[in-house]
Amino acid sequence: MDWNCTYTEERLSDYLEGALTAEESAAFSAHARVCANCGPLVARVSSLVNQMHRLEPMEQPEHLVSKILDATLGPQPSKEGWRRWFTWAPAMLQPRFAMGIATVAACCVIVVQAGGITPGKLRRANLNPADMFRSANRQAHLTYARGVKFVNDLRVVYEIQSRLEPAPAPATIPPSPRQEPETKPQPSNPQQKSETHPGHSEARSERIFAYIVSSDLTVALDGSLP
Amino acid sequence: MEPDAQLVQQCLRGDGPAWAELVRRHTRRVFNLCYRFTGNPTEAEDLSQEVFLRIYRTLASYRPASGAFPTWLTSVTRNLLVDHYRRTRRDRVTDSIEDAMPQLEEKHSTARTPDKLAQAAELSTQLQRALSRLSPELREAVILRDLQSLEYSEIQTVLQVPEGTVKSRINRGRIELAKILEEMGLRPA
Repeated sequence: MDWNCTYTEERLSDYLEGALTAEESAAFSAHARVCANCGPLVARVSSLVNQMHRLEPMEQPEHLVSKILDATLGPQPSKEGWRRWFTWAPAMLQPRFAMGIATVAACCVIVVQAGGITPGKLRRANLNPADMFRSANRQAHLTYARGVKFVNDLRVVYEIQSRLEPAPAPATIPPSPRQEPETKPQPSNPQQKSETHPGHSEARSERIFAYIVSSDLTVALDGSLP
Repeated sequence: MEPDAQLVQQCLRGDGPAWAELVRRHTRRVFNLCYRFTGNPTEAEDLSQEVFLRIYRTLASYRPASGAFPTWLTSVTRNLLVDHYRRTRRDRVTDSIEDAMPQLEEKHSTARTPDKLAQAAELSTQLQRALSRLSPELREAVILRDLQSLEYSEIQTVLQVPEGTVKSRINRGRIELAKILEEMGLRPA
């Protein structure tokens, strides 16, 4: 079947919508494959039609329906009674607002948990502002005292460690060949040797215990720490 | 959901809520048709309002036997659009040169939009510009077929022309539109 560019243009929509016979369709395709003008044209139109079919209709302006109803039925009465108090409610169902509300609720739960409030144990008396203040004040002082105790304990431990452990050995510098004859062989320290011994931690614990028992810690700390 | 024909009957008996439902159901379709034809949202809004005013006054003339309500609504809208086109023809001649200016600027901005939504919006705008350069006969045929998804028989009813003419206009309209987009430097992906 002979096919030319004029046929292609005339039957393009029929081809795209599958309205050609098998013979026509084959001739159309064969021509479009070899023709430098028709091939790109078919591709462009086909793509354009697909895109137009996929295009979402535009949203109408929000107030258009009410304008039309006002123009045809007359001014519409505003929502009456309790309904008008809830005109904002549909907006709350928007994902943005819903996620915001969920986040705030989660934060509230975290704050309540952190504050040591147990909803099951709440009594009416607990809701008294004076009681709430007293409770919050007590909680704050307790937290502060725990913190201070923890820091003081740490200071004691570091203090004991620093007194019992020998000062760190200075970095060893390889002696120069000239100084070599002057250096005397140092006698090996039995205490240092014992620290490398597997059982040295037990000995150290005993020493720490002895130190704590024998000395008044408070006096020692007051005298040594700033 | 009640069928349109039933709502129309209720409207004719003076049922306000039935009319409100009919308006809500079809406003988007009418607005889109007006927007695609005029290319101007404000004009489309005014025309949509005018369409429903006309429908409200002439609702008694609708005969369900002669076609579906949306087809009748589209016919009324199309007639009003044609009237509007004839009325405003003189104004558009002076605007056409100014309209050509922003096309180049928007062509560059297309490449910069990474978001698919933005690209779709851009495509819609460019398509709108290309549509406005089509002759009204071809434009309305393409809009009804490819953007409003009407059947050939419905388009035939709306345009009041034989089916062969409808097919020919749609075909020519599509080819012209693709060529216009090509001239604008846009090739459909």
